[in-house]
Amino acid sequence: MIQANTSDKIAKAWLWLSAVFIIIALLSVLGYVFIRGADSLSLSFFLDMPKNNWREGGILPAIIGSLIVVSIALLFATPTGVGAAIYLTEFTREGRLTRLIRIAADSLNAVPSIVFGLFGLALFVFYLKDFTGGPSLLSAGLTLGFMILPTVIRTSEVAMRTIPFSEKMESYGLGASKLQTIRNIVLPGSLPGIITGLILGMGRAIGETAPIIFMVALNPVIPKSIFGSGNTLTTQLYYLAMEGISMDVAFGTALTLIVIILILNYSTRALNKYFSRNLRR
Amino acid sequence: MEYKNKIMVRGLNLWYSGKQALKDVCVDIQEKRVTAIIGPSGCGKSTFVRCLNRMNDLVEAVRITGEVFLDGILDGKNIYDPDVNVVELRRRVGMLFQSPNPFPMSVYDNVAYGPRIHGEKDKEELDEIVEWSLKSAALWDEVKDRLNKSALDLSGGQQQRLCIARTLAVKPEVVLFDEPCSALDPIATGKIEDLIHELKKQYTIVIVTHNMQQAARVADYTGYFLLGEMIEFGKTKQIFENPKEKSTEDYITGRFG
Amino acid sequence: MHKTIDLENIIKNILLLFSITAILILSLIVIFLFNEGLPTFQHVGVLDFLMGDKWIPAENLYGAFPFIISTLLVTLGALLIAVPLGISCAIFLAEIAPGWARELVRPAIELLAGIPSIIYGVFALVVIVDLIKISFNLATGETIIAGSIILAVMILPIVISISQDSIDAVPRTYREGSYAMGATDWQTISRVVVPAARRGIIAGVILGCGRAIGETMAVVLVIGNVEKLPLSLLDSGEALTSAILLEMGEAVIGSLHYNALFCLGIIPFIIVLFLSIISSRLVSKRVSRFG
Repeated sequence: MIQANTSDKIAKAWLWLSAVFIIIALLSVLGYVFIRGADSLSLSFFLDMPKNNWREGGILPAIIGSLIVVSIALLFATPTGVGAAIYLTEFTREGRLTRLIRIAADSLNAVPSIVFGLFGLALFVFYLKDFTGGPSLLSAGLTLGFMILPTVIRTSEVAMRTIPFSEKMESYGLGASKLQTIRNIVLPGSLPGIITGLILGMGRAIGETAPIIFMVALNPVIPKSIFGSGNTLTTQLYYLAMEGISMDVAFGTALTLIVIILILNYSTRALNKYFSRNLRR
Repeated sequence: MEYKNKIMVRGLNLWYSGKQALKDVCVDIQEKRVTAIIGPSGCGKSTFVRCLNRMNDLVEAVRITGEVFLDGILDGKNIYDPDVNVVELRRRVGMLFQSPNPFPMSVYDNVAYGPRIHGEKDKEELDEIVEWSLKSAALWDEVKDRLNKSALDLSGGQQQRLCIARTLAVKPEVVLFDEPCSALDPIATGKIEDLIHELKKQYTIVIVTHNMQQAARVADYTGYFLLGEMIEFGKTKQIFENPKEKSTEDYITGRFG
Repeated sequence: MHKTIDLENIIKNILLLFSITAILILSLIVIFLFNEGLPTFQHVGVLDFLMGDKWIPAENLYGAFPFIISTLLVTLGALLIAVPLGISCAIFLAEIAPGWARELVRPAIELLAGIPSIIYGVFALVVIVDLIKISFNLATGETIIAGSIILAVMILPIVISISQDSIDAVPRTYREGSYAMGATDWQTISRVVVPAARRGIIAGVILGCGRAIGETMAVVLVIGNVEKLPLSLLDSGEALTSAILLEMGEAVIGSLHYNALFCLGIIPFIIVLFLSIISSRLVSKRVSRFG
């Protein structure tokens, strides 16, 4: 009897410890990046061009590159992903095709990032070189768009499925067509979920390195068009760390990236709160 | 021959999230007898019975005042004393639930679970205990050739008897039945009622039931609850043929509930 | 009326096209991977590729065995750390954590999941690598174990959240039955709840394993990248993913080297896909029937 109670106490202590470890891990990583990178941050860091092989100046090209690449990814993934979700929820029943689509989306989600890099290299940089400009921001954006597609499909679908059947029935009952119902009932109602999904996709796209590592150029110039090459915060960070050029700038870059992701993370939370308050669902 | 009181409840009150669910309940329950607790839905009968083995401790918003004494268990102390060993209490006071809930394990492992957690490791001992418990629950013949198969493959009635065997395996002195037959068909119910009749020779039994006929068939004593209060308690025959309170009479004759 | 239905049909078909995109992309990945990778075997035998222990492109030697072993070791190390820790944390969150602790730990896990892999890599490079070097008195801290440690942190969120979902899904009645017989919390958890949640927990571990195998950036910065066969966790190594990353810049398109690198990519691709399928099969029937 005493034995059982003692092992109960020991077990609980260990369980608490495991949770503490998680917190320590998080604080260590974030804390280190914040402390090491904070010194480098300043307005000029964000707005200036790098000089002297990154030893002076700022990281403007990388910031612009990241923004462009993520925008392209979203431009591809949003209509395709939301469209696919609409098709899956409104235009078809569960069957062979839908299951295949789901398996494909889940599998796509599991593909290792470097394999996406190889794929993007073969498809966009070589095969479609004439359309994309080879190793360009466009290629990078499209590769990332392919990567975040499953995320957008899944979150949009979930958001659309929470629209109660009764609401759609009411709409049809009043004489609305399927398209009207989708436009007026389904889409507005699932908008919060869709936006959350898009922000999630954004967060993922802006943090990836391997898929686009073969398509970026590391010369610090601002790209003139999406057909030209540039770099991103992530690839720049890799280059700086790998070549040991400047750990200070590296951590400044890392901190910039983390702050962007934290902002995105926080905004999904804030959006969810806002929408759940204002839409009695 | 006069039997002793096994369970003595004094001034038991219970609040759930601020609302009072049990009001000043006082009752003496005799050993080796079957006591039924009846009343309309939501009157607190399950809540009351769960106080007897402190299962209400598992619910977060619960507050309890009053005392419960069990003769011969925990040295007769109030079971709500802060330094009471709840684990030991629950070994001596077993409980059967409304829906049979065997663990997703073999029949053998289900019955052996109780003895194992209380320290029994010897295989021969366990074999003996398992056989004895299943016999006491009138289930041995039906499962003796499939002890290692999953308990979830048994029928509803068999599962409930398995749960009884499981409870008996730790050799309790009191067994609480919380609407044990509500998920079972009449034949399975009959078997359980017969079993209860046998078991009362050895164990003190308290059974919660919403089925008055069942109470009349099975119980020696009956307590009638309404809105958290025990309105009347006495020998079953008296409660059903000659209730003292009007409220009891109304319930028995089916005017409400 | 006619017009609306025509429009509806057009839109339906466009959306159908969008939906098929996922299938299309996956197919394209398979096609390109194999198209660029399989030509390797015109010059290198399959067994030589998988079991050969020398990878020297300049001499046309393409033995991937050292990479395979490195990937195996770094993943194993990561699992050894993340599985006990992750399952424990999942149990903590599902069974014994008070409300305030849950409010603290769950967001922490989400944050951990959102940190980009390159940042984990850089952190590991400056912090973990030195720690290993000092603790084990090595010439360099860039070792497999450094990779395992950072990978473990990265896969913890997956293991925890899937395991926690499984444990939460175990019916309350099992717990009640156990407590009613006088079991302690830990006895109930270890003998009834966790065994019942077995399937889902294993699914989570498998997905974590897949993630570790496919991870590139965090590993490449700390694993050392030497092309010899590692013999222990304290050796340096080079993972499959790292090799692809580092050598693609030098490979000439269409060359054997180029093909071989694509071929390397096929290995994690197939393994991770396979693991992903097993994992979803397990999740569809979460609570185990048999203890």
